[in-house]
Amino acid sequence: MPGPIDYSLINHQPDLDSAGWWEGAAAHRLLVPSCEDCAYRWFPPGPVCPSCRSMNLGWREAEGRGVIANYVVVCHPVLAAFREAVPYVVALVELPDCANANGEPVRIGGVLVDDEDAAAIGAPVEVVYDHAPDEAFVVPRWRVSGEAADGWRFEN
Amino acid sequence: MSRVSGRYCIVGIGETEYSRWSGRTTLSMACEAILKAARDAGLAVDEIDGITSHQTAAGDSCTNDQVATALGIRTNVGVDILGGGNSIGQLVHQSVGLLEGGHCEVIAIFRSMNGRSGVRMGGGAPTARGSGPGAARPQLASGINQYQIPWGIRGAPTRFAMEAMAYLHRYGYSTLNMAELAVTQRRAATNNPKATRREVITIDDHQNSRWITKPFRLLDCCQENDVAACLILTSAERARDLAQPPVYILGGNARASSYRPDWVWALEDVNAGWSRHVGERAFANAGIDRGDVDIVTMYDNFTTTPMKYLEAFGFCGEGEGGAFIGDGRIGLDGELPQNTNGGQLSEGYAHGAGYLIETTRQLRGQADDYCPGWADGEHSYDRAGGCRQVRSREDRRSGNRDNPSPPTISFSVGGGGTAQGWSVALRR
Repeated sequence: MPGPIDYSLINHQPDLDSAGWWEGAAAHRLLVPSCEDCAYRWFPPGPVCPSCRSMNLGWREAEGRGVIANYVVVCHPVLAAFREAVPYVVALVELPDCANANGEPVRIGGVLVDDEDAAAIGAPVEVVYDHAPDEAFVVPRWRVSGEAADGWRFEN
Repeated sequence: MSRVSGRYCIVGIGETEYSRWSGRTTLSMACEAILKAARDAGLAVDEIDGITSHQTAAGDSCTNDQVATALGIRTNVGVDILGGGNSIGQLVHQSVGLLEGGHCEVIAIFRSMNGRSGVRMGGGAPTARGSGPGAARPQLASGINQYQIPWGIRGAPTRFAMEAMAYLHRYGYSTLNMAELAVTQRRAATNNPKATRREVITIDDHQNSRWITKPFRLLDCCQENDVAACLILTSAERARDLAQPPVYILGGNARASSYRPDWVWALEDVNAGWSRHVGERAFANAGIDRGDVDIVTMYDNFTTTPMKYLEAFGFCGEGEGGAFIGDGRIGLDGELPQNTNGGQLSEGYAHGAGYLIETTRQLRGQADDYCPGWADGEHSYDRAGGCRQVRSREDRRSGNRDNPSPPTISFSVGGGGTAQGWSVALRR
């Protein structure tokens, strides 16, 4: 397991385009920006649909299960909040239940609860939530939930 | 071909020392670089009537008006843009537009930063815990950082590692390919007296260097340093009266953007953002074919980036970048010499300005190496003896070292990530 993350060292400031997404996370709901007109889904939240340019937007709730599409292993700490956490894996997780009709995936990042040994491209993961002190904000993270059928691991 | 192709030139170049602690303001360094470039060009400083620069959103530099007043120049044009590695090519093409529009006659482009001792990219390493003057303060996470910082992503190595990993995964490259690039560029830097890293490194040195963010080890990362650099541009007509052989700006692309947010959610095809998309347009704009190019520089914030751009701009096929950089192909006497100053991995980090200074020197035949007569174009072409000057393609092919010609055309690509980037083609 990576070491503890000190979220008190992050001054988290959502904006008016993203507030709904973070409110969802606070309620343990993993939301994906979704266009009310063309149903396109993407991440991160923005003010307009990048596909049809509609500004009539909503959210789709993901079930919170995905597959690691890519990952890195941070060994040298770059943030005070993560000073004790190294080495930790940052995964880019693809959400199959939010994929677009044209096949374009939706991907959301997050720190793995697990060690590097468990990480592989293709590994299934499920969302978990970290709460910053005083509930200042809630951050989705990921836990490896099974073996990758045809996983790819970084081998030096 | 662009209608301004070949009508404007780089006529002067200058830079300060690359250091880890300049002990100076960015304004002081910017002025030194501009004064050196004006002297190089044979221009009076008063003849500069346009100044332009870039700085990061962190505000890591001085501005054009501060430089103008410090130097006592009344300018007709002053522009500062936001950006890092995606900027210097943009400033070159933007300056050509300003010259063509008659807004100024002679324009100085500068980049000045205390990138090691002052504002570091990504903010540098975390400060100490607990209370007291060195205590860590909460890190602002807004804008795009609201998604990155809570996920432990900040600073170039973590941000660019994600696309590098995607690239290794897609094409099956190993870190030995990355090592090959670092070793080759370091070999060139051994013949660059101003390079911050001049000691020879081996594949093993690379493989044994410590992990930063996998897949990057320490020797995959570019330097961080304090430096200022300047390019002075004017018209081909004006250039005829000046001190140096003009280096003509043929074209390229200014600052192309991706259609999707970069880094963390990058597509697995790392050239799908902007780089592959603009390749054909950049060559057409410059009026050249790839085969005309004598030497290249490819932005090397990390070792994977040059391989990626060599593929995107068609110097090799997709998935062939790893093999292409091997076998000495990108060395000083290779088929396509690349980052002949050692690049940002070895010479130092000027956010891309160093590449255009190096290509200007190479095209002039004035690589500032260990040959005593370099400023007069006198070179030994003895790599073990400290010579960095590259010969023309024809002379490299024929093996001629007897009074060979300098390269004719250079092609530089900058940017670093999937989000934005530029290219600049130059001809002597």
